[in-house]
Amino acid sequence: MRLPAGVRRGGTLTRFAFRIGCLALAALAAAAVSVSFGASGVGPGDLWLALWGDADPSARTILLQLRLPRAALAALVGGALALSGCTFQALLRNPLAEPYVLGVSGGAAVGAVGVVVTGLGALLPWTLPAGAFAGALAAMALVLQIARRAAPGGLDTRVLILSGVVAGAFFNAVILLMLSLADVESFRSAIFWMMGSLSGAGWRTNALLAALLAPAAAAALSLARPFNLLSRGEEVAYYLGAAVPRVKLVAYLAASLMVAAAVAAAGVIGFVGLIVPHAVRLAWGSDHRLLLPASFLAGTAFLLVADTLARIAASPVELPTGVVTAVFGVPFFVVLLIRGGRR
Amino acid sequence: MRGISASVRPGRLLAVVGPNGAGKTTLLKLLAGSLRPQEGEVRLDERLLDDFADRRRARALAVVPQSESSPFPVTVRETVTMGRYAHLGPWERGGSRDRAVVGRALERCAAASFAGRRLDELSGGELQRVRIARALAQEAPVLLLDEPAAGLDLRYRMELFHLLRELRADGLAVLVVTHDLNLAARFADRLLFLDRGRVRARGAPAEVLSREMLEDVYEWPLRLVAHPGPGSDTGAPQTIPLRRDAARGPRS
Repeated sequence: MRLPAGVRRGGTLTRFAFRIGCLALAALAAAAVSVSFGASGVGPGDLWLALWGDADPSARTILLQLRLPRAALAALVGGALALSGCTFQALLRNPLAEPYVLGVSGGAAVGAVGVVVTGLGALLPWTLPAGAFAGALAAMALVLQIARRAAPGGLDTRVLILSGVVAGAFFNAVILLMLSLADVESFRSAIFWMMGSLSGAGWRTNALLAALLAPAAAAALSLARPFNLLSRGEEVAYYLGAAVPRVKLVAYLAASLMVAAAVAAAGVIGFVGLIVPHAVRLAWGSDHRLLLPASFLAGTAFLLVADTLARIAASPVELPTGVVTAVFGVPFFVVLLIRGGRR
Repeated sequence: MRGISASVRPGRLLAVVGPNGAGKTTLLKLLAGSLRPQEGEVRLDERLLDDFADRRRARALAVVPQSESSPFPVTVRETVTMGRYAHLGPWERGGSRDRAVVGRALERCAAASFAGRRLDELSGGELQRVRIARALAQEAPVLLLDEPAAGLDLRYRMELFHLLRELRADGLAVLVVTHDLNLAARFADRLLFLDRGRVRARGAPAEVLSREMLEDVYEWPLRLVAHPGPGSDTGAPQTIPLRRDAARGPRS
């Protein structure tokens, strides 16, 4: 599309706003699709009736108490994972970083599997997300402490990666240890949790998740311009006036908190945090003022679509959402990568 | 490094020279604030550099480090616009003045013709000009450059030093770390010659560069000849290293 010169000069931010608007519409459309389809017979037509208030009560319940909260959870988790992936990529200056690279998900899994294996999860369902969240926060603090002790004087991102990978390996060992001692039923639920699923959606979970995500997401989005400088290297960013140590710490805490909250609510859903920011970057470049919010919205749309597929593809059996994101996300990503390389 | 004092004044071009490992880059990083001295202090307009807030410092002092790389593709104009960061509030968007400053910096460094291209598509000389343009967009009165001419061909080197000379004429205080004794001798007002972490000599190029001192520092036979001119280069001491076997020849 060739715009007149005046519009193009009208500036970068106008172009960004336009693209973000388009993505928001796409996310909204994905939400409508997600709410309209499901294993039960309730379809798109019933959605409109329910919205206007004269649908039959059971359809209304399915839509408002099952599908809508689930779509909201998918939107929040998808957005949070993509935004935190993008933030880690900027912090670690590595396009291959993803939300789980620093061991936060491993810590969450230790917490969740611990709750399942001890039988606590079966008694008190709320202990599962609580355990996962506590494990994720513990992992986040542990990795930060290791990195700070190993390299005093500022946060060295190379040491941070090493600490994260090492901590993640340790958490994996702990998980396998607990699983080897678990009975068959706990084993099954633990594995299902680790594959990632949005079936735990509910308005209360969603509200809690949104309350945790909002400040962390705002903090990450506010770092867009320092991230742009950071992409040229920490030394360059410092010379250009960025408060590098503070930016790195806030980025780490915000991204980790988003991952912790998302994982506690939905388990370990892979690939969203890697694929979505990368796809946005291939399409629209790496200005973080666009990249961060666009990643959030694209992550929202992506997980909404993936979860819809997870629910209806093998209906009545529901597939783990994390499996669908990988199965559909990876080929899509490969196509993007090849086309991007040719350009 | 020990016992070093160095200062740059507005409208002056100081070249820091010396062999590998002499501490040139370390000195630049100390002056730029990215390294903290264990002892001693760095002052900018009488104020301690440590007391400057990050943005304030970047408005007073622009630095072009030796090299940089990015994992993500960015365009030339985006890169130069990064120089405006310190002039904008956290949520402030750049205005027409910022765009004008970026445009002028691009013109100045002869980079305007490829402003839309991506950095990873540029040649070494083009990239270096973009990085200097970004530093100019900071509009800082002090400019520090670390080996800006490294890897550039003859023409780019000359253009670069001409540019530094023009910036000096505009009233900037320019400090350049370089290996190139000959260009330093022609373009710099003063040289600071470092050797193994200490100041070996300082002053006007003709005073600093002597055959005895250079042969001692580099441990290599050489001759100094006067630049044949024409113009203001005439007489500038130019260093010519000899072949190893020439060392046995007559020393006069």
